[in-house]
Amino acid sequence: MKIFLAILTYFSYTFIIAMYTIKAVKYLKLPTHLRWELYPVMHEEKYRYGGSYFEQVDWWTRIRQKRYLRGFLFLLKEYFVLNEYFQKNKTYWYFLYPWHIGFILIITFHMLCFFGAVAMVFGITISSSSQSMTGIVFYYAILFTGVVSFVTGAFGSVGLLIKRIYDENLKQYATPLHYFTYIFTFIVFISGLYAWYFIDPTLSEYREFWKGLITFKFIDVEFGAAAHIILFNLFLVYLPYTRSMHYITRFFAFYLIRWDDEPNIRGSKLERKLQALLNQKVSWSALHIKSGKTWGEQVEEPKMRS
Amino acid sequence: MQIEDISKKSEQLIRIKPEDLMPLPCPYDTPDADPAIRELTQDQKNRYEASLDGVLAIGIPKPETKEKEEELIKKFLSGLAKLLTKENNWTFLQPLLHSLEYCVKCQICNDSCPTYVASGKQEIYRPTYRPEILRRIINKYLKKQSILSLKLTGSDIELNWTLIARLAELAYRCTLCRRCAQICPLGVDNGLISHEIRKIFSQEMGIAPKELHESGTVQQLKAGSSTGIAPKALVNIISFMEDEIEEKTGKKIKIPVDKEGADILLLHNAGEFMAWPENTEAFAIIFEAAGLNWTLSSELVGYDAVNYGVWYDDFQFAKIALRHAEVAKTLKVKKISVGECGHAHKAMMVIADRILTGDLNIPRESAIPLLADLVMNNKIKLDPGRNNFPITLHDPCNMVRLMGIVEPQRQILRKICPQFREMEPHGVENYCCGGGSGFAIMQSMNFPDWRSAISGRVKLKQVLETFQDVISPGIPKYVCAPCSNCKGQIRDLFNYYSVFEKCNIFYGGLVELIANAMVDIKKPFIEWEWH
Ligand code: SF4
Ligand code: SF4
Repeated sequence: MKIFLAILTYFSYTFIIAMYTIKAVKYLKLPTHLRWELYPVMHEEKYRYGGSYFEQVDWWTRIRQKRYLRGFLFLLKEYFVLNEYFQKNKTYWYFLYPWHIGFILIITFHMLCFFGAVAMVFGITISSSSQSMTGIVFYYAILFTGVVSFVTGAFGSVGLLIKRIYDENLKQYATPLHYFTYIFTFIVFISGLYAWYFIDPTLSEYREFWKGLITFKFIDVEFGAAAHIILFNLFLVYLPYTRSMHYITRFFAFYLIRWDDEPNIRGSKLERKLQALLNQKVSWSALHIKSGKTWGEQVEEPKMRS
Repeated sequence: MQIEDISKKSEQLIRIKPEDLMPLPCPYDTPDADPAIRELTQDQKNRYEASLDGVLAIGIPKPETKEKEEELIKKFLSGLAKLLTKENNWTFLQPLLHSLEYCVKCQICNDSCPTYVASGKQEIYRPTYRPEILRRIINKYLKKQSILSLKLTGSDIELNWTLIARLAELAYRCTLCRRCAQICPLGVDNGLISHEIRKIFSQEMGIAPKELHESGTVQQLKAGSSTGIAPKALVNIISFMEDEIEEKTGKKIKIPVDKEGADILLLHNAGEFMAWPENTEAFAIIFEAAGLNWTLSSELVGYDAVNYGVWYDDFQFAKIALRHAEVAKTLKVKKISVGECGHAHKAMMVIADRILTGDLNIPRESAIPLLADLVMNNKIKLDPGRNNFPITLHDPCNMVRLMGIVEPQRQILRKICPQFREMEPHGVENYCCGGGSGFAIMQSMNFPDWRSAISGRVKLKQVLETFQDVISPGIPKYVCAPCSNCKGQIRDLFNYYSVFEKCNIFYGGLVELIANAMVDIKKPFIEWEWH
């Protein structure tokens, strides 16, 4: 059992990292597109009212002020508030928010478990009465993130399931996969809650399990805790097949599309990229398009009068 | 109504009744205030595919035989496949794939859509409806997912001619205002999906509204302008405008044409020359008064900033953008300045930026900041007392939400219009006039009724609400819309509801207000004549 648990855990973590990386690289390697930004653009100086550098006469002669960090902080803040949802659909937010918090915390919980286990390898005891402050901080942080994530995640999963079934707007577009995801996440979170409450109230077993993974001295855990570990691992394998990548692609979409206001300066790297794209052959077949010619060739005709 | 109903044969997928529409404020708050959208004639229904909502924007002829239908279905699929390749669609591939793959169907975007809300929340106008159909087709017919996977992802849909014909029309029920995209927390752009669907029809199947393609971009490239004005006719129009300027203001102005080496090549939407010459005249008056070194062009396409390709066809778009740049290059001007036309702004300065390379990459800017500079720095003498009437500002989506030109027009209005008031919401959160994405020029069958009753409805509501305290026809009011297409739509919208007669609300551009305030012009420049 312990070998199975260890292999499954190694596999699922490697799998999700690999899948996310492949997806992210694929996304980033897509060709530069035409500009299609939407204001406000957060790195703009006049972002408060949505102003852009086009508000200046001879804008190309001015230095553009860009504050990329502002955009990053804006997106980060959105993760923790989900403001748009709060504004537009409060009842949805009441479930969506705990569900998201459940995810954020369960990931934090696992990261803390990992680092906690590393600390344990270095001889630090993790408990409420540890000699080391680090040990005490890890203890409470792991306990807090774990328990809160199990509770909020389970609550959110049930709430969202109900909402998707009964909200007319959402129902029409809900798929069996949506329902499956909510049920699955509910089981994952509730199994964590069960394991904590009935089997491992200090989560020490879980930390030992992680220590075993790091030191390759795998340990057996009680059935309830093992069930949660298995379920969570399966969930990690399932995630790349859902739209969960949106945690990452959201950043890409805002930076690479919605806020992409980079002008094409003569002689720039961007211009060279665009020239290469214009040299590609196209195969559209409407009558006004010459199939088999390049983008550049397509648009040459008709010549000017003079 | 279920999503998959789109492929099921029926006379009409939805019926729009006046009582379902979003209510309007006074004086349109009575049950009979809304004219019903005209029914299509039986002959029109027999000839065209009209089974979506009983409205025709494109008017696709019904295929005569089953074989022709099959052929069109195949073409649609091949077009869709091309839309997803790097070579054929590098222009929008990344945003398109993002929008197709990462929508979580939370429906937060729905209530931002003026069309959906104004229609009384008709399912087919929901911003997520079109994308969902496209996704399902891709999953089933291009990715060829297994039956189980189709069931799990809810992607089962039947692709047939009924669906395709309805989808084509449906792509022209979205103004591409992108309010839905602005609100989406994940950066998904359902407006873009309408744009991309239009491209499949145009670029692969040769199907597009006549006003956009045949008498739009094709005519513009051939005759010189989408209005049909040829270079020779332009010369006459300019001389007519010079006479009119003299008559109105007493000023003798020679409008510069094809002046080599000028600082500014001013590009107008050629619709202005015919429908609102006072706008181009006001530009000439202001530019001359400020002593700018500017010119118009009489070269083919060089006197029409319009670029309808931006709404339906990347190739037509690129051809026109290139012509504009070539004209500027030949004239050796320092920069291009775009007049009061929102989509021309977006097309020239933003989208075309990644098509114009090398020496065609001529600096391009909006005329609005230039005007703000003249007004704010007192380069022309103005008396705000002359614009002492209630006035509000319409923000053209293309110029404001889509390119961030928000403040300069407001600076001008605050300075020269004592009774200026904002409508709510405004700025980057504005609502589309309802004529976006080519709608303003599309006059096919009963489509103009639809665009007044539905896509323009929220704008009408906003204008009426802004002027509620002065709504009596005894008080003249002005909606400033610094965009040709918006003006066209507002004209039609106000006509449909007799707004001028019932409320005395006039519309016009920004430069007319500046010219109206110029102290060295004796008579008021604005004539308050409805047209
Ligand atoms: S487009 Fe965005 S806001 Fe609309 S349903 Fe999809 S994810 Fe939600
Ligand atoms: S782009 Fe505008 S009209 Fe189109 S779906 Fe979005 S909000 Fe509605």
